[in-house]
Amino acid sequence: MNPAPNPTKDLDFQAIVSRMWPFAAPSSGLFLAALILTPVATAVSLVQPWLMKAAIEEHIEGIGGGTASQMGLDTLGKVAGAYLAAVMFGYLVRSTYSIIISIAGQRTVLRLRSHVVEHLLSRSPSFFDKRPAGALLTRATSDIEALGESLSSGVVTILLDVLTIIGVLVAMFMLEWKMTLLLLTVAPPLALIIELCRRRLRQTYNTIRTSLSTVNAYLNEQVNGMKIVQLFNHQQDSHDGFIERNTVYKEATIRSNVYDALMYAAVDGIGSICIALLLWYATDRAEVGITAGLMVAFIDYLNRLFRPLREFSGKIAIIQRAGAALQKVTGLLDTDESITSGSKTLTQVKGRVEFENVRFGYRPEPEYEVLKGVSLTVSPGEVVAIVGSTGCGKTTLTRLLSRSYEGYTGRITLDGEEIRDLTLDTVRQAVARVRQDTQLFPDTVKFNVDLGNPKLDMAHLESAAELVNADRVIASLPSGWQHELTERGGNVSVGQGQLLSFARTMAYNAPVVILDEATASVDPVTEALIQTAIERILERKTVLVIAHRLSTITAADRIVVMDAGQVVESGTHAELLAAGAHYAGLYQAGFDETTDQLARDTQGASADA
Amino acid sequence: MILLRFFKRYVVPLWHWYLAGLAFLFMTNWLAVEIPLRMAVGVDALGTDPEAVRTAAFTIGLMGLAVIAVRSLSRVLFFTPGRLVEFRLKNDIFDMLTKLQPSFYSKMKAGDIVSRVSNDMTFVRALVGFGGLQVFNVTLALALTGRMMMQLNPKLTLMTLLPIVVGLAFMQAGVFAMHRLTRLSQTQLSSLSDRILALLQGVQTVQDFCAEAAFQQRFEKENLEFMETNIRLAWVRSTILPMLGLAGSTCIYVLLVVGGPMVQRGELTVGELVAFVTFVAQLLWPLMSLGWLVSVFQRGYTSLGRIDQVLYAEPEKPEGSNPSDLPRVPPALHLKNLSFTYPGLETPALHGITATLPAGKTIGVYGRTGSGKSTLLRVLTRTWNPPAGTVFIGETDILDLDLDDWRGNTAVAPQVPFLFSDTIAANVAMGPIDPERVNVATFQAALSEDLKALPEGLNTVVGERGIMLSGGQRQRTALARALYRPANLIVLDDVLSAVDQETEQRLIDTFASIGQDGQQPTMLLVSHRMSALARTDHVLVLDQGKLVDQGSHSALINRPGPYRDAWSSQHEDPLPELPTDAALPAAEVVQ
Repeated sequence: MNPAPNPTKDLDFQAIVSRMWPFAAPSSGLFLAALILTPVATAVSLVQPWLMKAAIEEHIEGIGGGTASQMGLDTLGKVAGAYLAAVMFGYLVRSTYSIIISIAGQRTVLRLRSHVVEHLLSRSPSFFDKRPAGALLTRATSDIEALGESLSSGVVTILLDVLTIIGVLVAMFMLEWKMTLLLLTVAPPLALIIELCRRRLRQTYNTIRTSLSTVNAYLNEQVNGMKIVQLFNHQQDSHDGFIERNTVYKEATIRSNVYDALMYAAVDGIGSICIALLLWYATDRAEVGITAGLMVAFIDYLNRLFRPLREFSGKIAIIQRAGAALQKVTGLLDTDESITSGSKTLTQVKGRVEFENVRFGYRPEPEYEVLKGVSLTVSPGEVVAIVGSTGCGKTTLTRLLSRSYEGYTGRITLDGEEIRDLTLDTVRQAVARVRQDTQLFPDTVKFNVDLGNPKLDMAHLESAAELVNADRVIASLPSGWQHELTERGGNVSVGQGQLLSFARTMAYNAPVVILDEATASVDPVTEALIQTAIERILERKTVLVIAHRLSTITAADRIVVMDAGQVVESGTHAELLAAGAHYAGLYQAGFDETTDQLARDTQGASADA
Repeated sequence: MILLRFFKRYVVPLWHWYLAGLAFLFMTNWLAVEIPLRMAVGVDALGTDPEAVRTAAFTIGLMGLAVIAVRSLSRVLFFTPGRLVEFRLKNDIFDMLTKLQPSFYSKMKAGDIVSRVSNDMTFVRALVGFGGLQVFNVTLALALTGRMMMQLNPKLTLMTLLPIVVGLAFMQAGVFAMHRLTRLSQTQLSSLSDRILALLQGVQTVQDFCAEAAFQQRFEKENLEFMETNIRLAWVRSTILPMLGLAGSTCIYVLLVVGGPMVQRGELTVGELVAFVTFVAQLLWPLMSLGWLVSVFQRGYTSLGRIDQVLYAEPEKPEGSNPSDLPRVPPALHLKNLSFTYPGLETPALHGITATLPAGKTIGVYGRTGSGKSTLLRVLTRTWNPPAGTVFIGETDILDLDLDDWRGNTAVAPQVPFLFSDTIAANVAMGPIDPERVNVATFQAALSEDLKALPEGLNTVVGERGIMLSGGQRQRTALARALYRPANLIVLDDVLSAVDQETEQRLIDTFASIGQDGQQPTMLLVSHRMSALARTDHVLVLDQGKLVDQGSHSALINRPGPYRDAWSSQHEDPLPELPTDAALPAAEVVQ
C-alpha cells in the first residue's frame, strides 16, 4: 500500500484489510474458523423462508386455493417444526461465528495498540516537537477504539452479509426469476443514494475526527495551563478558543446526521416499494402460481436482503469511521522519524567523549545553524562544565550526545566509536541525562527511580537515593518507596521531584552523565550535598555539566565556554580567569569577588590564582 | 435529580426540535401500520379483484416514497438536538473549567477531564439523540402497530406476545450485563489513556534511560485487561442479544401453527396472516431498542454523573462574600498567624506565619526545598485560598476581594513555566497583543536576544508546552508575561533558576526599575540565589512551613541560622551592598 497516505485520500476497504493484516495474522486460525462457518450460517438462513412458503402454500392456503385437507394440517406441524429447528440452529451458528470473530478482532486491536505505543516510544524528540500529546493520545485511544468498535459492533459479519445477499438473490431467482428481475430494478437508485451518502459521510467523518482531535488537544492543554489562564484573567479568551474549535466539530456532526438518516430511510422506503412491485406483478398472474406463500417467502427474503443492506449503511459508517481512524493511525505508523540505530556495541564503556567539528541546526537552512563547528574532548573521569549565555548551544550539544537529535555533520565519538554507528541502547546505557525539566510518572516512587529496570535491586536504589539526599524526600512521603505519584508528580514539590530524578540517574549507573541545569531549583544546602555526592560517586566517570552557578562550574576539571554555537575558550577556572577573555568577562559580571569553597576543595589551590 | 437538572438546562430549550421530530415520527409509524394493511388487502384480492390489487400496489409504492422523506426527517430532527446538547454541554464544561481552582485540579487528572468531555459525552449524546428517538418510537410503535394487531386478532396477538416477552427478558438481562461490562471497559480505557498520556509526556526520559520495555510491559498489562473485558462484552453481545431475533422467528412459528388452522376455519384471511408476519417483524425493532434504551439510559446517566462532577463542581470561593474595591496602589500585605494545609494532607505546608510585607518593597523569600515558599506565593495569589482572617491588605481580608479583580492586579511568574502552543507574543500578552508593550516586556525579561535567533521572532509558535524553547527561554517568556501586565503585586517564584549570573543581575536591576506612576509595585521574589536575595529589601526565611527568621539580607547573614548557613556554603564574603534601584543601562549588558 501507499507508505504515506495523503490525508485527504480515502483508504478503501481493501487497503484497510491489508494494513490490518500484520496485526490480524496471528489470529488467522480464528478468522479461518469464522470463514468456514459463513456458508453454513447463510444456508440455514436461506432455508427458513422456503419452509415458511411451504407451510403457507401447501398447508394453509391449500393447493389451488379453497380448503386444505386434515392431512395438510397434520404435516403443517412438521413443516413448522422444521422451520423452528432451522431457526434455532441458525442462532447457534451465528452466535459462534460472532464470538469467534470478535475474539479475533479484539486480539488484532490489542496488537495494533501495542504496536502504536511501541512505535511512539521509539520516536525522536523532533517527532514530538511537531505533534501535541493530546492528538497522539487520540491516535492511541479513540482512533484505535473506533477500529475496535468496527470489529465488535458486528461489522465483522459483513462477509456473512455479502454471502447472505448473494444467497438470497439466488434463492429468489430459483423461486420466480421474472419477479426477481423486476425487483432488481430498484437496485440502481438505491445504490446511487447509498453511494452518494457514503461519499459525503466519508468526508464528514474525516472532518469530525480531525476537529474532535483538535478540541481534545486544546482542552488538554488549557486544563494543564489553567492556573496560568486564571492568574492572568484569560478565561474568556480561552473559552472563546474552545467554542471556536467545538463549533467546527458540531457542524460536521450535524451534517453527518443528515446523510446518515437519508441512507437509513432510503433502504426502508425502498423495501415498501418492492412490496408494491411484487403485488403489481402478481395482479394478473394468479393463474401462473403466484400464491400468498410465495409472496410471504419473497417478503421474508426481501427482509433478509434489506436487513444487511440497511445495516450496511450503519456498518459502512462505522467502517468509514474506522477507515478514517486507521488512516490516522497508519499515518502515524508511517512516520519514520526515529533516531537511526547503528549496529556496533561497546562492552565496557570507558567514557571518552569527543566532538569533532560538529555542526547542527534544528532546521536545515544555514541561518538556523545552532552549532557551528564544535570540537571538544572529554576524557574518562573528567568533569567538564559548559558555560555560556542562553541559546549558545549548550543544551543542543548534550542532546546530540544522548542521541535525541541527529543530522549533525562532523563526528561525535564515544570511546573512539562514532555514536551513529553504535546501537541506540549502547549510547543511552552509557549516557545518563538529568534533564532541565523533571519528568515524573503517575506510578510509585520506586518505579519513578528504577523505571522498571528489574536489574536494580532495592539496596542499590536506596544507596542511590541516599547519595543524592532523595532518601529524605522518600521518607517524608506517606508510603515511602511505594508512594503513588500523581500526574506529572503533582504531589511532590519541584525540588523533591528533582531529587528523585537525581536518584534515578544515580541508580542508572551510566559511565557518562549529562547534567543539564538540573541543580537549579534546589536550595543551596541541598545542592551542596548533591554536588558533594556527585563528585564522590563520579570520580571515575565522565561528566558533562551545564550549569549557571559558580559552585558547579568551578567544581569541574575543565570549563568550556561556548558562544553563538562555538567553543570560544577552554581551560581550568584559574587558567580562564588568567586569560582575561570571555570567561573572565562572565565571571566579573556576576561573581567579581566570590570564590567557592567546594570548588577549592576539588581543585586545590589553583582556584586562588 | 441529575437527569431532571440536565433536561431542564439542555433538553427543554430544544423542545421545538423534538416536537417537529415527534410529528414526523408519528407519520413514520402510521405508515408502518398502513403498508402491511394495504398488503393484506392486496394479497387477499389476488386472483379475484385485480383492480384492488393494483390500487394496493400503487398506494404502497407512494407510501414507500413517503417513508424515505418522513423517516429521514424524524431521525435528523431527533439526532440534531443531541449534537446541539453535546456542543452546549462541552462549552459549559469548559466555562466551568476556567472557574475551577487548583483544589479541584489536584483531585481530577487532566486526562480524566478530557476523557469525561470526550468519552462520557458520547453516552450523553446517545441519551438525548438515540434515546429520545427510541422512547417515542417504541411508544408509537406499540400504540399503533400493537393496537392494530389486537384489532385484527386478539388471540393470535397474545399468543405471539409470549415468545417476545421471554426474548425481551433475556435481552434485558444481557443489556444489564453489557452495561456493567461497558462501565468497566470505560474505566479501563480511561486509565489506559492516562498511562499513554503520561508516557507521551515523559517519553524523553523513557528513551534516555532505555526504559521502553518496562513501560511497554506496564502498558501491555492494562491493554490486555481492557481486551478481556471487551471479549466478555462480545460474548454477551453474540449470545444473549440475538435472542430477541430468535423470539421473533419463534413468533412466526406460532403464527404458522396457530394462525394456519385459523385461516382454514375462516377466522383469519391469508392476507391478514401475511400482515401479522410483517407486524411482528416491525414490532421487533422498537422492542429491541427498548432493551438498548435501558442501557443507553444507564450509560448516559452514569456518564452524566461523571460530567456533573465537573459541570457542577463547587468553585472554591470564587468571590469574597463581601467584595471590596481594591485600592489601586501597591498593597502592603499583613500575614496574621497564617497556616495552610493542602486538602488530603496532614502536615501543614505553612504554619503560623505572621509578617508584614511592606508596600512597594521587594521581599525575598528563602527556604529549602519543601519549606513552603511556593505555597506561600500560591496562598497570596489565591491560587489556593488562605483560611479566612489570615491575610490582609490594610484592614481587608484578601478573601473579601473579588477574585478576578485581585488577580487582575497581580502578576505571577510560576516556578514551572507553562506556555501554550501559540506564538510567543500571544503567550506574553495573554489577550489582546500590544506589540509595543510586548517588546518592552520581552526586553525587560532579557528575551530580546533570544527572539532574534528564533525563526519568526515574537511570532514563533512555541509548540506544545513551549517545546521549541530552552528551559531558560521558557522561564523568561513566562517572566515577560508577568512583566507585561501592569500590576501592583508581582510574584516571581524562582524565575532566576535557569538564567546565568549575568542575566540574573540584569533582571534584578529591571525588577528594581519597574513601577507605574512612579510607584514601585510590591514584589515577592522566591530564590535560592544569595546574589539575588542580597538585593531585596527584606527576606523571609522559611523552614518546614514556619517563618524562622526575617530581616534584611545584611542582618540575616550576620546572625546564625539557615540563611547564614546557606550563604556561607556559597560565599566566603558578603557581596557589597548595591543600591536596589541602580538599573544598568541596557547598553552595558554584555551579550
